[in-house]
Amino acid sequence: MPIPSIIAEQLVYRYGSLLAVDQISFQVASGEIFGFLGPNGAGKSTTVKMLTGQLRPQAGQIKILGIDVARHPKQVQARIGVCFELTNLYETMSGVENLHLFARLFGVRGFDADALLRRVGLDGRGKDKVEGYSKGMKQRLMVARALVNQPDVLFLDEPTEGLDPTSAQAIRHVIREEQARGATIFLTTHDMHEADLLCDRVAFLDRGTIVALDTPHTLKQQYGERMVYVEVLAPDGTLQRREVMLDRADTPAEVAALLQGEQVVTLHSAEATLEDIFIRITGRGLAS
Amino acid sequence: MSLYRVGVLLYRELVQGPKNIIFIFAVVVPLVLSLALALLFGTLFSGKPRLGIVDEGSSRLSQSAAAMTSIRLTIFATQVELEAATRRGAIDMGVVVPADFDAQLAAGQPTTMIAYVWGESLLKDRALLSTALVAWTRQIAGQELPVTLTTTILGDTVALPWQDRILPLLILMSVVFGAMMLPASSLVSEKQHRTLTALAITPATTADVYLAKGLLGVGLSTVMALVVLALNGALNERTGLVAGVLLLGAIFSAELGIVMGVLVKDVNSLFATIKAIGLLLYAPALIALFPDIPQWIARIFPTYYLVQPVIEIVQHNARLADIAGLLGVLLALIAVTGAILAGLTRRNYRLGTV
Repeated sequence: MPIPSIIAEQLVYRYGSLLAVDQISFQVASGEIFGFLGPNGAGKSTTVKMLTGQLRPQAGQIKILGIDVARHPKQVQARIGVCFELTNLYETMSGVENLHLFARLFGVRGFDADALLRRVGLDGRGKDKVEGYSKGMKQRLMVARALVNQPDVLFLDEPTEGLDPTSAQAIRHVIREEQARGATIFLTTHDMHEADLLCDRVAFLDRGTIVALDTPHTLKQQYGERMVYVEVLAPDGTLQRREVMLDRADTPAEVAALLQGEQVVTLHSAEATLEDIFIRITGRGLAS
Repeated sequence: MSLYRVGVLLYRELVQGPKNIIFIFAVVVPLVLSLALALLFGTLFSGKPRLGIVDEGSSRLSQSAAAMTSIRLTIFATQVELEAATRRGAIDMGVVVPADFDAQLAAGQPTTMIAYVWGESLLKDRALLSTALVAWTRQIAGQELPVTLTTTILGDTVALPWQDRILPLLILMSVVFGAMMLPASSLVSEKQHRTLTALAITPATTADVYLAKGLLGVGLSTVMALVVLALNGALNERTGLVAGVLLLGAIFSAELGIVMGVLVKDVNSLFATIKAIGLLLYAPALIALFPDIPQWIARIFPTYYLVQPVIEIVQHNARLADIAGLLGVLLALIAVTGAILAGLTRRNYRLGTV
């Protein structure tokens, strides 16, 4: 594994009697897109707050780019970018003014707001006040703001949630560009499809602990079951769906029986999704 | 802490501030109140007669004028300055006292004294000043008045004029409202819109953010308090000392505002808090309005140590040494509030709240 950009060791955080994060440990390699997945209340936000220096861990240690976050949060924050789930832009300022404010706070010289706005598809709207932006535009501006200091580590919290396909695609494109630049990306999301598309590795978080951590491919191989979905025409003329598990001893016979005995209309093979695997591991869905 | 980042944040506050209703209130309310009260109680347009003197020698006339508290005296260096001041209405009357004025009078020789009168001055002011000038001249000439005037004061002889009673309220309104409400409302608004969280993950520290917000409130309220004092004709030769005391008072108020901003979650709660503690904040000024109330009660309230030094300077011409005790308490209050703020900031970091 290359040199880790993020090292989290035995992190603990408790809100009163509620144990939000229970001794979690993981590492994220430089240039990796790391998915942090889990339902609401699993401890994702608390972990991200600790990683970004907003919250001091009650136990354990975090190193970002080799710097102890609890000891030197501002040193770390100078080299990371954070895109929050909820919009937190200065609404009465324009897009360009928002970006310039943060560029100055990061001490960026020769900052080109227009170029950054072009990257996220907001060119031509930079001088408009943010309060007039759509949700997708605001989210793209939030991503742009997270990039003003060309961060070495980028934290993205649900960056595409509730966005139209065009905006979501634009943000995914920027994420891949940032990875190509060499940035490490820590992606928190509910969207398993997005995690599957983007992430090199994913961690499943449930009730404050990491219950699985690996590449999506390995997780699918380890926990998923391949299926064949077959649509057949019933005698009454309606379409009916059949499911056949692959990788079992009786699978060939079951498929043959279907093909011989039924009028097969469509036949698709499919592998398990990350959500299927999450449910299988934790016994509950991501929406819970 | 970085002064550059404080500057960046302060610039944002300055640019965005005037769009905030609190900012407008902080500027407009003290001015409107000053003008309204001045009109109501006649402090602005019927104050003391203003006399200007160019004393070419060291005449006893200047000393007599300086000793008379019911006249506002300004000494000018040259006749040109005196004439210009009269022409623009800075004084009601200006006189040039020749170098040998006292000697000529004592010798019984006729002498000349040039006098300028502002054309728009009130008749009563001209009459008062003329009468006073004649009386001082007769004194210097050694002439006795042919009549002995026996005066009896009727009514409350110790009552303060209304303009003096209202001044603490105006000062508190200028300093406390601007310096406290501006940082408090700005901080709460940033919490509500979550922009404070966005700032928290930049290299800007919490201290940078608080300082930028505090500086806006301190600067604006100090200037507004000085303007209010000037409008009420309360500034004297110790304007620098007054400005310094107002600055300390504004710092204390800004600290209170930031503490409130840290503790309160939304704007509605902020206004509810202000309503709840408003009486405590303005209590010293309200007590000053009613001299029948024992005035020592005002000392219980922290804002007394903000307003009283200013009153001592502008109404009793106090020097720094005279108000050192009051300023000592004010500095202690600043230190204690600062410590509370630092504690709250550490607690927020531990709890992950901003």
